[in-house]
Amino acid sequence: MKFVIEEFTYVLIICVLIINALISIYGIVYRRSLTKKLLSLTVLSDTVFVAIILAGFIFTYPIVPPVYSDIRGADKDFLLNHASDPLPQALVLTGIVIGLAVNALIAFGIIQVYRLTGTIDARKAVKSLLEEGVE
Amino acid sequence: MKRVIILISILAVTLLSSLVISFVAEITVPRSLRDLSKYYIANTIIDTASPESVAAIVWDYRGLDTVYETLVLYLAIVGGLAIFTIKGGFPRGEPMGLTELSRNATKIIVLLIATVSAAIAFHGHLTPGGGFPGGSALAVATMLIIPVYSVNILLEKGITSTKLVAIRGFALTGLGLVALLPVVKGLEIVTNQKFYPGFLNGVVISGSISLYNLLEFLAVASGFTAVALYLSIPEELYKGEVRD
Repeated sequence: MKFVIEEFTYVLIICVLIINALISIYGIVYRRSLTKKLLSLTVLSDTVFVAIILAGFIFTYPIVPPVYSDIRGADKDFLLNHASDPLPQALVLTGIVIGLAVNALIAFGIIQVYRLTGTIDARKAVKSLLEEGVE
Repeated sequence: MKRVIILISILAVTLLSSLVISFVAEITVPRSLRDLSKYYIANTIIDTASPESVAAIVWDYRGLDTVYETLVLYLAIVGGLAIFTIKGGFPRGEPMGLTELSRNATKIIVLLIATVSAAIAFHGHLTPGGGFPGGSALAVATMLIIPVYSVNILLEKGITSTKLVAIRGFALTGLGLVALLPVVKGLEIVTNQKFYPGFLNGVVISGSISLYNLLEFLAVASGFTAVALYLSIPEELYKGEVRD
């Protein structure tokens, strides 16, 4: 049983990510406002991205991006020991773009719901749309 | 008061749980890379002629994933624009905008954003960045112009949603062609180094990676600019449409 600052930081980041995810799931499920649901969704997706990046982080000093400074590959050995994992970064890069597009689509949908029903409260909007359907 | 108590208790739970876990459990922090990542870093220059491992993974090792992901991006934006379609074309009006001071400041900032976004996109195979971040950065410039200069200035200058969707279609067709062309020679789809040259007159172009970055830059920038244009249509018009 010993206290090491690196391990504490690592565990702290994981705990913060878990709590962040829980709060954003609460926001998605319990908040009535569609905009707040969307905000919670973006926080959740960013939390997941940070978790994926954390999976590729290594605790060495110095830590550098996985980019060669020389096209002939002279700093290969240095990079193999000190570069962060490129695979999670590539996954997160594509994930962010898909997330951005999907968030834009959801935002369009929310604006359209507001135009049709005059409210962004999820329950009132559903009620209003159902009533229109009955008529 | 209730909110402050909830906030403090969440902070306390986070700190205490991480303290307890790091004391009690045997935590080992990662200090070296996985074998797969080591392969990517060691062979990126040999396989893809790109010194940037992330760009190499995005557009070469896992290129097919990225091509499909671009399709998702395309469909999401097409879906959004389909919801916002209005009868009788894009409405035009008198340009209004903000004061002279903010206009001049915006001119400088937009120029800077355009330069930086081009640098991010065109150096994507050499330094961190690429088509996606570059395109998103350029779209920010348009989003800045719309409130400061008003959307009508953009329309007067010929930046219409039809043209933007056309540029987007052109860029995505080009992207598909770059991915499909190696099939003509009997190679696999999204082949890079066996088909495209890694160097051009001694300049590193990393084969298809720089082409993908350029086309993706155009597609993302025009797509998000079109979204910004549609979002700036006056609300009254849509309300009229909904009533009809």
